[in-house]
Amino acid sequence: MANFFPRWTNTLPLKIVICGAIFGGLVTLFYWYYLTADYARVGYAPVQPVAFDHSLHAGQLGMDCRYCHSFVEISSHSNVPATHTCMKCHSQVQKESPKLELVRRSYETGEAIPWVRIHQAPDYVYFNHAVHVSRGVSCVSCHGNIHEMEVVYHAKSQTMGWCLECHRAPEKNIRPLEHVYNLAWKPDPKSGQTQLALGKELKERWAINPPQTCAGCHR
Amino acid sequence: MKRVLTHPENKLPSADGKHYWRSLSEVADTPEFRQWLEREFPSGASEIEVDGVSRRHFIRLMGASLALAGFGFSGCRRPESYLVPHAKSSEWIIPGKALLYASAIPRPGGGLPIVVTTHDGRPTKIEGNPLHPASNGATDHFAQAAVLDLYDPDRARFFKKDGKTSSLQEFKTNLAAAINLLDERKGEGVAIMAGEDSSPTRTRLRNALESKYPGLVWCEYEPLDPGFRAAADTAAFGPSVKSVPRYDLAKVILSIGCDFLGVEVGDGGNVYASKQFAANRAVTYDQAKAGKMNRLYIVETGFSVTGGMADHRLRLKPSEIEGFTAAIGLEISKLAGDEQLRALVEPLASRGEHDRWISVCAHDLFSKKGESLVIAGARQTLQTQIIARAINATLENLGKTLVGLPQPKTKSCAKLIDLAAKIGRGEISLLINLGVDLHYNSPADLDWASLQKKVTSTIYLAAYDDDTAKVSQWVVPKAHFLESWGDSLSPDGMHMIVQPMLMPLFGGWSELQLLDALLGGDATEGPELVRETFALRLKTKSLDHAWMLALRDGFVHDSAPAEVPLQLLPLAPLSKSPTPIGEIEVVLVPDYKVYDGRYANNGWLQELPDPATKLTWDNAAILSHTTAKLLGVGDDDLLKIETTGKAIEIPALVLPGHADGAISISLGYGRKDEKRRILNGTGFDAYRLLSTDAPVILREAKITKGSGVHRLAETQEHHVMEGRDHVRSAAIGRFIKEPKFAKSMGIDSHIPPNISIYHNPLLTAPHQWGMTIDLNLCTGCQACTIACQAENNIPIVGREQVINGREMHWIRIDRYFASKDERSLDPEMVMQPVPCMHCENAPCETVCPVNATIHNEEGLNVMTYNRCIGTRYCANNCPYKVRRFNFFDYNKRRIQARKFLGLEVGNLYLGPVGQQNDDGMVKMQKNPNVTVRMRGVIEKCSFCVQRLEEAKISQKIRNKGTDQKKLPTDSVKSACQQVCPTGAITFGDLADPESAVAKKKTDPRNYELLSYLNTRPRVTYLSRLKNPNPTMPGAESVGGFNVGGHHHADDQGHGPDENVHYQGKEHHPATQEQAAQPSHH
Repeated sequence: MANFFPRWTNTLPLKIVICGAIFGGLVTLFYWYYLTADYARVGYAPVQPVAFDHSLHAGQLGMDCRYCHSFVEISSHSNVPATHTCMKCHSQVQKESPKLELVRRSYETGEAIPWVRIHQAPDYVYFNHAVHVSRGVSCVSCHGNIHEMEVVYHAKSQTMGWCLECHRAPEKNIRPLEHVYNLAWKPDPKSGQTQLALGKELKERWAINPPQTCAGCHR
Repeated sequence: MKRVLTHPENKLPSADGKHYWRSLSEVADTPEFRQWLEREFPSGASEIEVDGVSRRHFIRLMGASLALAGFGFSGCRRPESYLVPHAKSSEWIIPGKALLYASAIPRPGGGLPIVVTTHDGRPTKIEGNPLHPASNGATDHFAQAAVLDLYDPDRARFFKKDGKTSSLQEFKTNLAAAINLLDERKGEGVAIMAGEDSSPTRTRLRNALESKYPGLVWCEYEPLDPGFRAAADTAAFGPSVKSVPRYDLAKVILSIGCDFLGVEVGDGGNVYASKQFAANRAVTYDQAKAGKMNRLYIVETGFSVTGGMADHRLRLKPSEIEGFTAAIGLEISKLAGDEQLRALVEPLASRGEHDRWISVCAHDLFSKKGESLVIAGARQTLQTQIIARAINATLENLGKTLVGLPQPKTKSCAKLIDLAAKIGRGEISLLINLGVDLHYNSPADLDWASLQKKVTSTIYLAAYDDDTAKVSQWVVPKAHFLESWGDSLSPDGMHMIVQPMLMPLFGGWSELQLLDALLGGDATEGPELVRETFALRLKTKSLDHAWMLALRDGFVHDSAPAEVPLQLLPLAPLSKSPTPIGEIEVVLVPDYKVYDGRYANNGWLQELPDPATKLTWDNAAILSHTTAKLLGVGDDDLLKIETTGKAIEIPALVLPGHADGAISISLGYGRKDEKRRILNGTGFDAYRLLSTDAPVILREAKITKGSGVHRLAETQEHHVMEGRDHVRSAAIGRFIKEPKFAKSMGIDSHIPPNISIYHNPLLTAPHQWGMTIDLNLCTGCQACTIACQAENNIPIVGREQVINGREMHWIRIDRYFASKDERSLDPEMVMQPVPCMHCENAPCETVCPVNATIHNEEGLNVMTYNRCIGTRYCANNCPYKVRRFNFFDYNKRRIQARKFLGLEVGNLYLGPVGQQNDDGMVKMQKNPNVTVRMRGVIEKCSFCVQRLEEAKISQKIRNKGTDQKKLPTDSVKSACQQVCPTGAITFGDLADPESAVAKKKTDPRNYELLSYLNTRPRVTYLSRLKNPNPTMPGAESVGGFNVGGHHHADDQGHGPDENVHYQGKEHHPATQEQAAQPSHH
């Protein structure tokens, strides 16, 4: 009896399996690389030129965020402080610390410190810090528990879907204005206050209605 | 009722009707025009077909390069980027916030007060100074484009000696030698060449130089100013006085070739005049009834912006204008019984065939004695200008509509011709040129190239490495006005301070610095020189306080000099100007976009369509249909123009309404210069026809048909809308009788109840944005087009792409000609700005497959670039044709053609292998609040959404902790509204009944464009009015009793009440307005 299948088909199942595996692998890789939180940089914690410790300054020492990020209430961009701001204290505190060598040099030479950027919105996204903080959205909602971070990392995914979650239900995140920079603040459970109830009340009182159309962020 | 789904047929105008047409091709209904009409882009515009590279071939190439790019895997992860704060904070600078400075643009004829927006120290936008009456917040197209000049990568960058790069230090050493020369011979043999400028500091330094070195020759030259204006003022009113018109006080104006609403030499821009003119042009119904509207007569050769606004226009050959002016004068002298005027004008008067026109116009002027104005253009003959002044004296307008402004006392300047004679005799050994490109723009008969060789040493303060720079011994890079201190006088004489926004990008010097160095000063970059002048002029004692105040406001309050009473001096008899030889006269005119050529390297201005011809990137020989027929040429055919040994070839362009027997050619084009990429190879050089004895009209011209054609890039037929009655206008008489005339025009009286199959968007937000454009005030000056370009990061595309219909302007100005008979040689010109209409039922939104264009709650039709995949369905479905597609990466790549594999190809076509914009200079101008679009996305007017969002955010921040989010009435302006000098554009919140736009929407003249399509546009128009003199021949057709074919003059329309359409839609802001004015049925 003649062969129904030519000889070369003997290896075909194996070939199919191998190709399938490669293809499946590529799909998995693609998904893992592009569609997971990792791609959105969650956990990204680059080494900074000066090992500035937020948990020490904002946490332990209780410094207000606005001491350094001074224009956050005015401008769309929350500024990184000028070297001058560091030296306001460090001309007296930790004057000789080797960790601050770069800061002192920058202050003397006028050469800027190249801080590595962690959070970056794409060019076509116009995020405004000032309007968020003045409508009761705390730093912690987008940046995580900065006051506990020794090295700052990318805590939230900051994808468009993540933005919209809050724009659709802002009550989950808004808090009284006096607690916006108090990162450790939680609604007092003793008084029976929950975030949702408080958020709803504030939303009503301040007529909060976050934009959900494209032009809110894309211009 | 059956819906009519086809466009109304409208081939022939009705018996009493007028016809509006865009171009001669439309009238002829050529296949090319049909194509522009029926397609968004011409056929083949979406093909990439250049030098045999087809789309298929291109895709193959692209595929290969993509595959190659894939191997690298580079760019998969975001690269590390840095946040770089200042080491020490700078005062006032807040990252992310714009910082505004008041300043001024120095110009010949008077500066323009401005406010400059800077982001992180980079100037990005120029607006008018709202505190100053000469601007009131408005600017013109030159001012808008000035910020691009600052970042021009082709600017002169280095100190140069004999063509080789040198240094500031070396130059200073050399300058010491020059000063020695000055000292030795008390200035003998040294000449300073300058452009005209009103700067008091420059005047002070000049006076100091002249008193220190009495032998010094100070020469001023403005290529477009023949000097007749100043000479006429001196002859009529005496020395040191300048006569200034007050259009806001004039009820009847006769313009004699004066384009005061467009580009008029020596006016310092059209902003002030436009503002004043609009004051009596804008009328409500009651004001119209009370006869408040002014009347404008004009005689001119070509169609100017002012000519388009005129109620009566007479086209005359340039040489006929003088006789005509005299004839008007003669008529008025008879009416007034003024023998002196009669004696002056009688020998010159020539009535031609315009007897009736002259007597009617003269009667009208005379009947409004003291409230009339006769104004002659700066390029009219000296005789014409003297007569115009004398007529004003007879009409008792002096001190009323024509006022006197004192001029600073200086020694009189040498004229260019005197300086040339001195150089010719070898008397000048050092020539210091403060920035006049004499090699290009001096009269051809002077032969400057050989003259300059006779000067031993030259110092040239150069904005560009131009022809003059190439032959100058020393070249000093000139600082832009945005990067140096200076001062200027506004057209009304106020002292304004020019502040720098940044350090000179290329370490250039300003004129003041160079003059100071010649005086032995240290040529400081700081404000010292200007402050010294300021202190000298100051009347109060607290210098510091006054200085800070002047810097804050941009000008010195109450510094305008008192008006000088004008008194007509006895005038010497005038002799007729010689008549040019030849049947066809050639007149040289200023260019609307590049002026005298100084703005020629500015891409925004080059690509701006000329208001009348809609020509971009070129100039042309403009002539009438009759003249073209006589010469046997059509559009694009080359004409050869010869005069006394000089000849140029230039393409012809037929413009309706141009005087017969004359050709206008604008100056400022035709340079070949590889280093200046924008101006290189654009247009044709008319300076070669210029001679010292005939600065305006050529003495003798021989015109023949040349060989070949040059394809002109006109935009007049691009983005044509199907359907009719886009422009509606009426004479004021009809408006008074029938205030809602605009609503009864065309198909509007037939609209059945519209039933939309789509759901309307939920318009629930507290603000509902809308716009009205008052066609009665729109002069078509195009400032809005360029303001929009600056605000919204709109790229330029280059000449080739404009020919393909790919220009990117978000607000275009449609120009229509209107006449009873479409072959008429005397049409009216009407302008209509068309931005995105932000339709409530937007046809574009329903066809977008990816929801990239949607409606928001505030009624904006928003466009999301990052979602757009470039199907262009929306552009196809837009009846207004306002959507623009990025066919190429215009922002990233150079638009100029380049050599590639030995072939001359458009750089854009080369795609990834094309040359990128090499340095980030132009990038620095970009508005950081607007996305810079890339290839493959659609864009269009966004109602300046970035400004709206910014305003709303600021309001929320201001009122934090409260629910007060609503913006105050009229607190935000769109870029086009802000720039408009006549206030034709009103933008604002329709939901706020107090807002200006809501009020304008209730004007009876309000109408929608293509309203029968039920798109419900948020942009509406207020129809145009004309104020014709009923006794004038042809007055009955001025303004048009009707436009388009389909209309009912009486109240017998046949559609049910339009209000039905709006029932049950409470959220619709237009409902109120509609209810307030039931239709005429």
